[in-house]
Amino acid sequence: MPHPAKEELKQLQLERLQSTLNRAYRNVPFHRNRQNLLAAQTGKDPAVLEKRDDISRFPFMDRKDLADHYPYGLFAVPLRDIVRIHTAPGTGLKPTVTGYTRQDLGIWQEMTARSLRAAGISSHDILQISLDPGLANWGRDYKDGAESMGIGVIPNTPLSPEKQLMILRDYKTTVLVTTPSEAAQLTDRMFRSDLNPISLNLQHLILVGEPLTKELRERLEQQLHVRVWMHYGLSEVPGPAIAFECPVHEGLHISEDFFLPEIIDSQSGEPLPKGERGELVLTSLMTRAFPLIRFRTGECARLRKEPCSCGSSLVQMDWFATRTDDILNVNGVKVHQNQICLSLERTLGFTPDFAYRVISRFGEKNYLEIMIHADERIFSDEIKEIEMRIRQIGEQLRENLGVPLHVRVKEKNTASSHV
Amino acid sequence: MLRVTNLKCYYGRIMAIKGISLSVRQGELITLIGANGSGKSTLLEAICGILPTWKGEILFEEESLKGADPPRIVKKGISLVPEGRLVFPPLSVTDNLKLGAYTRFRQKKHTQIAEDLEMVKELFPILAERAAQPAGTLSGGEQQMLAIGRALMSHPRLLALDEPSMGLAPLMVEKILDTLLLLKQQGLTILLVEQNAQAALKIADRAYVLETGKIVLQGPARDLLSDVEVKRAYLGKDYEEFYDGRE
Repeated sequence: MPHPAKEELKQLQLERLQSTLNRAYRNVPFHRNRQNLLAAQTGKDPAVLEKRDDISRFPFMDRKDLADHYPYGLFAVPLRDIVRIHTAPGTGLKPTVTGYTRQDLGIWQEMTARSLRAAGISSHDILQISLDPGLANWGRDYKDGAESMGIGVIPNTPLSPEKQLMILRDYKTTVLVTTPSEAAQLTDRMFRSDLNPISLNLQHLILVGEPLTKELRERLEQQLHVRVWMHYGLSEVPGPAIAFECPVHEGLHISEDFFLPEIIDSQSGEPLPKGERGELVLTSLMTRAFPLIRFRTGECARLRKEPCSCGSSLVQMDWFATRTDDILNVNGVKVHQNQICLSLERTLGFTPDFAYRVISRFGEKNYLEIMIHADERIFSDEIKEIEMRIRQIGEQLRENLGVPLHVRVKEKNTASSHV
Repeated sequence: MLRVTNLKCYYGRIMAIKGISLSVRQGELITLIGANGSGKSTLLEAICGILPTWKGEILFEEESLKGADPPRIVKKGISLVPEGRLVFPPLSVTDNLKLGAYTRFRQKKHTQIAEDLEMVKELFPILAERAAQPAGTLSGGEQQMLAIGRALMSHPRLLALDEPSMGLAPLMVEKILDTLLLLKQQGLTILLVEQNAQAALKIADRAYVLETGKIVLQGPARDLLSDVEVKRAYLGKDYEEFYDGRE
């Protein structure tokens, strides 16, 4: 899929934005009510959006809206048109549900294929996918996108790091799709098990889920003799590769023909001009089943002013590690404090005093550390009983959050505060 | 080549087109599909200058069509094949065709017009056979060919057609659409309004789906051909019960 020319892109975005708003108005009461409210305020038919930038008049959508309309409240097509229903952990009691029509799957296929093509990946390659269960949806989209290009795909299968390495070497993988922390973990293990990266066929690392530090990129490139490509996607709603790196490696090109990006001040909600750092807000332009209109990603980013020297008209984004909301990113999977709270309450019958943080060490997968402050409700004379409790809490949390984690019980004065 | 932005059309106080944007690139065959009353013909009338009371922007080859009357628009290179063909029944086939070139007669381009007349008769041999016959005696399909031929006589760069398949036998529809494909291959840009969505999508590059004066879908025609949402819009059916068919 070629990148459209600048002027053409502007018209294309307007056309697609207008039909997205028209469809959302017709088919989703949530969007209809919001548009009607806007019409009452401005006296204008909001569906008749005349300029691309007029989108800033519309209200935002956030993760709470997704939870409030569980399960099918935000679907814009009849259920019969849906061919895939995806569940993500969500940020509260209820999971986040998104749906895809056959056309939607085709769109993700195209977007993923475009991002792989930008890295020079072709049907000569063998692509291995290794992602946590929380990112299973991306695994499917990468598989579909790569297969559509005739790439040999090793789909996402939960395996031990040893087995992943064995496959990497023996199946002659040339492209690995994974998260930065898993890539670091695999690299470390490789050296520990005396596996020389030169004996691998690996040429490209596609890293997803978390922003990549310059140090880690250099380290991975040097140690594995590969080229590293960063991709950005949404894990709980639509999918991967919304933005991707080109060979220039200066920021990520956003697929603006499929998503309209905005950067806003996360406090005031006001749109910020290009070049300024703020929260990334996305509006879907082609999605049929689950349109997003001004979805607040919570991601901190900046849109670049200057066009890329690769010649593409698609705007570039710098993606920063900090977030503008209180959501944690654990190997690409989003975790909210509410989820931890609810899970603890369910296991223990009360909400204990607790603290949490993401632990990141090179050579290990990032994990969530949860420290529960010991008090008389948790404490027991029997060490065995305490251990059992911790195990139960850990199991329940792992089940609910889908991320690696450690639970520790600490005396109150030694536990650190909330992160 | 043609760029429509935020077009609104009114019949008195009724807004028939409610802010539409669409684009046609050089050499493309674009189809507009939608149910009866969705605004397809109105859109063509606005582009061709028949309905002058529109708001928004229509650019043809970077020039605005605002305030241009139909003859001027024909001169600029847009030619319309109107709904219901509208040939002149008492006039002969040849005279009907010559009328299509009336803006060029004034420019004294007689040799070119004669060449074009030959070209049209080559494209539709039946018109050559019936050259002297009054147009009113032709069959529906033949009249449609005549209407297309007449539009081609102005030497357009963009040919707009309003429901060319209407009232024709399936075999004739196929013949007409094949001709459009042939014209496209010769480099003509085509904007085709059709109720026969299936047939139009088969030959088009891209398509726009209209619903009550708004565009609700667009995309490559081959993708829309199998689209359930298109079928719904085209049949004019309202949004069905969400759980319908999966209860």
